[in-house]
Amino acid sequence: MTAIAHSADTDSAPAVRTQGLTKRFQSTLAVDDLTLTVPRGEIFGFLGPNGAGKSTTIRMLLGLLRPTGGSAEIFGVPTTDVERAHEHLAHVPADVALWPGFTGRECLDLLAGIGPGTDIAYRDELIARFELDPHKRARAYSTGNRQKVALVAAFATRAPLLVLDEPTSGLDPLMEREFRRCITEAAERGQTVFLSSHQLAEVEAVCSRVGILRAGRLVEVAGLDDLRRLRRTEVVVELARPAPALERVAELPGVADVRWSSTLELTLALTGPPGPVLRALGEADVVRLDMREPSLEEIFLDYYGQAAA
Amino acid sequence: MTTRTAPPAAPGTDRPALPPHPGTTVGRGLVRQLRRGTVVVALISGGLAAFVAQEYERTFSGALGVSSLTALAENPAIRTLFGPPVALDDPGGFTVWRTGTVVAVLAGIWGALAGTRITRGEEDAGRTELLLSGRVRLATLVRRSLAVLFGAGAVVGAAVVVGMLLAGTAPAGSLLFGTLIGGTTMTGAALGVLGGQVLPERRAASGLAVGLLLAGLLARMVGDGVAALSWLRWLSPFGLIGRAAPYAENRWGPVLVLVLEIAVLAVLAAAAAEGRDVGSGRWRGRERGRTPSRLLRSLPGLAVHRTRRATVTWSAGVGAYFLLIGLLASAMLQFLRDNPVFAQMAATAGFARLATVQGYAASLFSLLAVPVGAYAAGRVAALMADETASRLTLVYSRPVGRVRWATWEAVAVAAGTVVVTAVAGLTTWIGATWVHAGLGPGEALRGALTAVPVALLCLGAAMLALGWLPSAVLAVGVLPAAGGYLLLVLAESFGWPSWLRGLSPFAHLAAVPAEPVDVVGALGMVLVALLLAAVGLVGYARRDLRG
Repeated sequence: MTAIAHSADTDSAPAVRTQGLTKRFQSTLAVDDLTLTVPRGEIFGFLGPNGAGKSTTIRMLLGLLRPTGGSAEIFGVPTTDVERAHEHLAHVPADVALWPGFTGRECLDLLAGIGPGTDIAYRDELIARFELDPHKRARAYSTGNRQKVALVAAFATRAPLLVLDEPTSGLDPLMEREFRRCITEAAERGQTVFLSSHQLAEVEAVCSRVGILRAGRLVEVAGLDDLRRLRRTEVVVELARPAPALERVAELPGVADVRWSSTLELTLALTGPPGPVLRALGEADVVRLDMREPSLEEIFLDYYGQAAA
Repeated sequence: MTTRTAPPAAPGTDRPALPPHPGTTVGRGLVRQLRRGTVVVALISGGLAAFVAQEYERTFSGALGVSSLTALAENPAIRTLFGPPVALDDPGGFTVWRTGTVVAVLAGIWGALAGTRITRGEEDAGRTELLLSGRVRLATLVRRSLAVLFGAGAVVGAAVVVGMLLAGTAPAGSLLFGTLIGGTTMTGAALGVLGGQVLPERRAASGLAVGLLLAGLLARMVGDGVAALSWLRWLSPFGLIGRAAPYAENRWGPVLVLVLEIAVLAVLAAAAAEGRDVGSGRWRGRERGRTPSRLLRSLPGLAVHRTRRATVTWSAGVGAYFLLIGLLASAMLQFLRDNPVFAQMAATAGFARLATVQGYAASLFSLLAVPVGAYAAGRVAALMADETASRLTLVYSRPVGRVRWATWEAVAVAAGTVVVTAVAGLTTWIGATWVHAGLGPGEALRGALTAVPVALLCLGAAMLALGWLPSAVLAVGVLPAAGGYLLLVLAESFGWPSWLRGLSPFAHLAAVPAEPVDVVGALGMVLVALLLAAVGLVGYARRDLRG
């Protein structure tokens, strides 16, 4: 649908660029004609219900799956050229699997040894911050601890692009807060983050722009502020005395879901510019006017609702 | 379900009824997981046995005299290598002697692998927890697994009975032979389930189960060769096949012993399942590591680290077998000098030039390619297992090309095949030197290393499957050695056309050290192996990763 092309520096390619990216598994169309650009330095949230094709997209970006159609680039390097493209990125998978006989330290050493260059001092700091015991063998780690190994390995690379696939699903709230701090630090250093997550509060807290995927298609890409503006604002009006003229407020453009909880209190959903509604309210005796922007969760559920409809 | 407005009712009055017999439902699921493998193994076992029996009828029924048979039965070396030869003048007896061990090993190993797959494998993958959150206990699950596996073993045994009956052999012998093969499958399966209860990882559990089963084969060989240790034969299904002597004495006593042994293993497995934590084994393994391995800092290091332990284990197993081969050299040679008829017969059965120590060693070194090929294919299968378990996702999210990583892995495995074969050569030399058989160390090494090209062919075939048929890496990988060996033996036993025989890699191996190395044949095989691996790598680089 709407793919917002960003005018990045002409001589510096965006962190991620996909063009008509498509993946078909036998009869299932997992990702359908995905065109998306994530400029350098952006914290991009990648949202969608289960099975929408988020992980498939990420696995194509990593070159683990071959696209059926279209192409993708990481900093201008085609994703098929894995060795070059991966010099610029670090990844945390949704389900971290480690060799059960290796200790956490051995896993980190291995990933550093084959990785795009690791800041060992920063890694030791991260191990302390995430309270990871690196001397345990991977088979003794819980899901959250395995995820910490991958997070520490990824952040310690200081790679210009971090591709994170639900990286906090196994973390406790304290560790999740640490994760958000790391993201903020990464953003301050100018790293780009491609974050797929179901934790909408997390996305809302760290991301500047989100893309919403549904049934393999990108249905929306927008900055969080734009998204809120584009979506419905909830307006609550309290009146000093009944205003019969407002009975026809539902006919105004952009107004929906008008509810009178009493003759003096009115709730409505507003999409688009608020001018006509404000003019209509100007003639009434308004005691209180409350306009609330929707949370990401409400926006997201709105998209889910469309899927059900 | 209850709603808020409903009057307070007894909890659960409107819940659906409990389904009866959760154990039966679990059993049905297990049958689903095993049925395809069971059918394949049953068809191969029954088909192979029937085929050999029928070919025997056509080719050389009645060609052997009674006195020759007696001499053969009395020779310790023959007994050690091929089991006690009884009733060779009968197509059934010949089939038992020629293919009984092969079929029993095949069925037993399948049973062991299936046993660990449906217990430890399911637990590793986290699926067992899903079942155990229902109304099934771990001990029930293990007992059901044993029951279904024993059913599978019975099917394999029945297939052999039917095959032998269709080939026209005696019903009493057919029934006994099939029962023994079925029992061997069950032994392997019980060992597999037991291994799955003891060790916390599927690969280790499979290794333990298959190792114990093959130790049983070694125990049979030692028991048949050394009179003082003949009681060892009673410990393994392979020894019991010889004790039962199908188509000759048709003894059922050993079958009772086999049933007893299976029962003991099953009870041990069920007992080990009681009161252990799900997700871990009786033996937990160390939780904390020692100093981190320096190998794990680069791709080549990782490849060496992954190959190391398997190489040591396979070297130990193959080394033990070939030490025994070396120790038997003198006894075998003496026998063949005394009975030239058998040297001739062995030659037609794929063991040419047995009459010199070099010929004897060469014949047995060609066998070496089968286990070493299985080792190579197994390592590539381990790579595939890592991929399926998503363990490669982190590696491949680094600047690591698939071709580069798989190539390092293949190089490490290729070096491993050289190590394993060299160990076999050295232990043969040690054994032969012990009995003063006159085999030089250079000869022994050269002879053993002749098996390397065939093992590399297995590696190449496994790499081909890694790229294009990732669900069958192990099966495709062992085909050149195990399938090729069987093809050669059948072709030479029954005088098949030379082009068919030529399909076997073994047809292009010289009998080193009795003959000089066939450089062209060896190079040709290495070239084919490289080609197979290259085609496989092309596919591996292109396909979607699993897991």
